[in-house]
Amino acid sequence: MLSRRKMLGGAGAISAAVAAASVSKVAMAALPEPVIQTKPDTMPPLVPNTGRPYNPVVTLNGWTLPWRMNNGVKEFHLVAEPVVREMSPGFKAHLWGYNGQSPGPTIEVVEGDRVRLFVTNKLGELTSIHWHGQRLPNGMDGVTGLNQPGIPPGKTYVYEFVARRPGTFMYHPHADEMVQMAMGMMGFWITHPKGKHPLIDEVDRDFCFLLNAYDIDPGAATPKIMTMLDFNLWSWNSRIFPGIDPLVVRHMDKVRIRVGNLTMTNHPIHLHGHEFLITGTDGGPTPKSTRQYEVTADIAVGQMRQMDFLADEEGDWAFHCHKSHHTMNAMGHDVPTMIGVDHRGVAKQITKLIPDYMVMGERGMKDMTEMEMPLPDNTAAMMAGTGPFGAVGMGGMFSVVKVRKDQKRGDYSDPGWYQHPPGTVAYEFTGALPDPARFKADVSPGPGSMPSMAKPAQDVEVKVRKPAGGHSGH
Amino acid sequence: MPPHPASRRAPAAARPQRLLAVLISAAVLGGCASFSPDGGFAAVEKTAKDRLGKDVQWARSDADQDSIAKRVGELLSKPLTVDDAVQVALLNNRGLQADFQDLGVTEAEVVQAGRLPNPGFSFGRSSRGDEREIERGLHFNLARLVAMPLIGRMEARRFEQVKGRVAMSVLSLAADTRKAYFTALAAEETVRYMRQVKQAADASAELARRMEQVGNFNKLQRAREQSFYANAALQLARAEQAQRSTRERLVRLLGVWGTQTAFALPERLPDLPPSPLELPDVEQVALAQRLDVQGAKQAAEQTASNLGLTRTTRFVNVLELGVMRNSSNEEPTQRGWEIGLELPLFDWGGARAARAEAVYMQTLHRAAETAINARSEVREAYTGYRSAYDIARHHRDEVVPLNQRIAEENVLRYNGMLIGVFELLADARTQIASVNASIEALRDFWIAQADLDMALIGKPSLAAAAGPAMAAEAAGAGH
Ligand SMILES: [Cu+2]
Repeated sequence: MLSRRKMLGGAGAISAAVAAASVSKVAMAALPEPVIQTKPDTMPPLVPNTGRPYNPVVTLNGWTLPWRMNNGVKEFHLVAEPVVREMSPGFKAHLWGYNGQSPGPTIEVVEGDRVRLFVTNKLGELTSIHWHGQRLPNGMDGVTGLNQPGIPPGKTYVYEFVARRPGTFMYHPHADEMVQMAMGMMGFWITHPKGKHPLIDEVDRDFCFLLNAYDIDPGAATPKIMTMLDFNLWSWNSRIFPGIDPLVVRHMDKVRIRVGNLTMTNHPIHLHGHEFLITGTDGGPTPKSTRQYEVTADIAVGQMRQMDFLADEEGDWAFHCHKSHHTMNAMGHDVPTMIGVDHRGVAKQITKLIPDYMVMGERGMKDMTEMEMPLPDNTAAMMAGTGPFGAVGMGGMFSVVKVRKDQKRGDYSDPGWYQHPPGTVAYEFTGALPDPARFKADVSPGPGSMPSMAKPAQDVEVKVRKPAGGHSGH
Repeated sequence: MPPHPASRRAPAAARPQRLLAVLISAAVLGGCASFSPDGGFAAVEKTAKDRLGKDVQWARSDADQDSIAKRVGELLSKPLTVDDAVQVALLNNRGLQADFQDLGVTEAEVVQAGRLPNPGFSFGRSSRGDEREIERGLHFNLARLVAMPLIGRMEARRFEQVKGRVAMSVLSLAADTRKAYFTALAAEETVRYMRQVKQAADASAELARRMEQVGNFNKLQRAREQSFYANAALQLARAEQAQRSTRERLVRLLGVWGTQTAFALPERLPDLPPSPLELPDVEQVALAQRLDVQGAKQAAEQTASNLGLTRTTRFVNVLELGVMRNSSNEEPTQRGWEIGLELPLFDWGGARAARAEAVYMQTLHRAAETAINARSEVREAYTGYRSAYDIARHHRDEVVPLNQRIAEENVLRYNGMLIGVFELLADARTQIASVNASIEALRDFWIAQADLDMALIGKPSLAAAAGPAMAAEAAGAGH
């Protein structure tokens, strides 16, 4: 699972040779060897064998960075470098990240740990790391120009501080951050409590992921860094459904999910089948009096939320951002709405010119999930996920929480689709359908809160078109 | 020179055998000019065969006309290749037949020039009492007789010139026909593609109409799609007009009418040859074989010999010789020559020689101009040919495949709902326009080839160089 790689060997390094070559061998000898991850899979939790004990987290489609103890100091080595991240099977992006992946590895420490972080810059430009949410000496906060000079390409800087406050944190560059974050430079940081904490419950499973977004033209691989809001790939840990792993739990497990938002918009993250409590924010654990049951937590930009719930309902439960565009993959935002448009005749005419043409969207977009049509290379199909009952019609920020009775403790492997007990799945009604009594709508428009000044010259007749069934006629 | 009647009173007793001898000797002097068996057409035929690989036929009889009609009918019965078109034009173009008649007219004049004018003969009888006076006179343009070899040579040269001119007509007609053929064929292909463009525009207009109908488009969006349609309809109308007029131009050159005008052209222009002709010594080739250059050279030579003629025979055209015989029944026959001689007393011929020299110099300059122009024209034709080749190849190998690839990628993007059907249709229009631009480039290549072929054997009619067609792409894209 973890592959070690001699940094100076350079084998497989995607980074510019100039950066790698300029890292001094002598200087590197004193550093912990950087650990590089080559796979985008969810790695099992890294149980600590040195330092203070803690309950490790599982990073969705990610991993935790190993460390070495050096005279009581936890030493980590982060390498900022260009990476290729598989965002979903068959679609790879050219990103910048840390130690082979974007986002970088999760850093897990324990409250009170003295932490020393070596940051080697293998990018072509200055970088730095800001330790988002940490209490630390001002000179360790990582804002280029304000707290420190930028780390030049090829150089290694050292950050050192005590992880004072337990909670959920992030790290990201604070040098050319618009570009570097749009390119995927970010990572998670967990500070576990030292011993029992009155506001932090022990949980059986602890998941974490970052919300991030990219704008990569279909068929291309590099994000467009100038995009501000019109992203086309909405991801969790730079993975898009169906490329995201499920969150596998054992029935009656206490589950914690930590989410950080490094996109440029908020995300209402919604869990099916359970209620959760927000037990922690950017500022640490929440007072118990403030906690309320939710099924959706809106996570604003730059925020972190920690949700706790008891997995007491078996099944495969959807877990997703509730902004419906965020559960799609790349799609055109200027595509005209074709719903209800009769294509008879025209379709044939178009096919004469464009033989591969197929009518789409005149019944809606779900058709997309049923058609197997070639897409541009290196493009994640929209809504491509398939479940036991067919197309899920989702993409992007969507995953499944799988609650199973027979899941072993500590086993995160996918148990497959949920086997529903008989009679517990929605079914087709086959009886006779009497004409329902319907409320007769008043044709005249309602009065509104105020009389309108100007009215349309003519009442526009708007008809509802009902599907006549099937793709007949083309 | 007017006949100079020599009449003398003479006694009777004529001696006709002597007169005969004079006539025979005159005929021998003059050489016996007669009609050639081919009427000078063999040279024209040879030019058509050697330079074009085509037959020409001079329709001098109904039988000729019938065999031409039969051959033309056969050629027109199947889709016309460019070689067939040239062959039809060479057989069937009435203007060319009219030019052939020039050969007949000229040859008749040449033959006429090679014959002695009929001698004049006068006979008078009068009596005065017992005395009868018989007056007989034979008058003959002796100057003509003396000058006849020279005149014959000049006329023969003139005949050669006419043969050259007719040959030129053959070559020009062939070149014009080739160009008209490719223009008409390309125009037909263009119409086909413009129909496809309109079909794409039709589809988007119709779809936009239905979109508005169900409330998915507003009036502005619908109107936009319909403006593409309106524009495409206009383009199609223009293309159809071009097709009709270019076809009529070809019809005129082929000399066809009535049901014959229903001939079919092939589906496509011939493919671009695998590689362009390499003609490093194109100027030498043109100078060696161009008919206009050869003609100019001959004209210069001829003028030179005329000049020499003028110089050596300053008086020749003032020399007149008459044969005279007077007989009377009373007196012995009076015989002798009567020569009128103009003395170079006031006109030493200097002015005439100067004129001839000026004419000669003029011809030299003309010949030089012809050669310079020929070199330039053939260079222009060759570079035009080469760049037309490169442009057509670029269209074929780069522009069209690129647009094809764009179209394919756009279908993939449409599949992924990354673009809508209107963008897809707009792109289809662009792609079709690029195919059409490629057809036009191919047409221009074949026209340039015809110009080059012509420039190598005669004076081409090169089209005025146009600037780069910047507007073409914008116009073709349609959005
Ligand atoms: Cu979202």
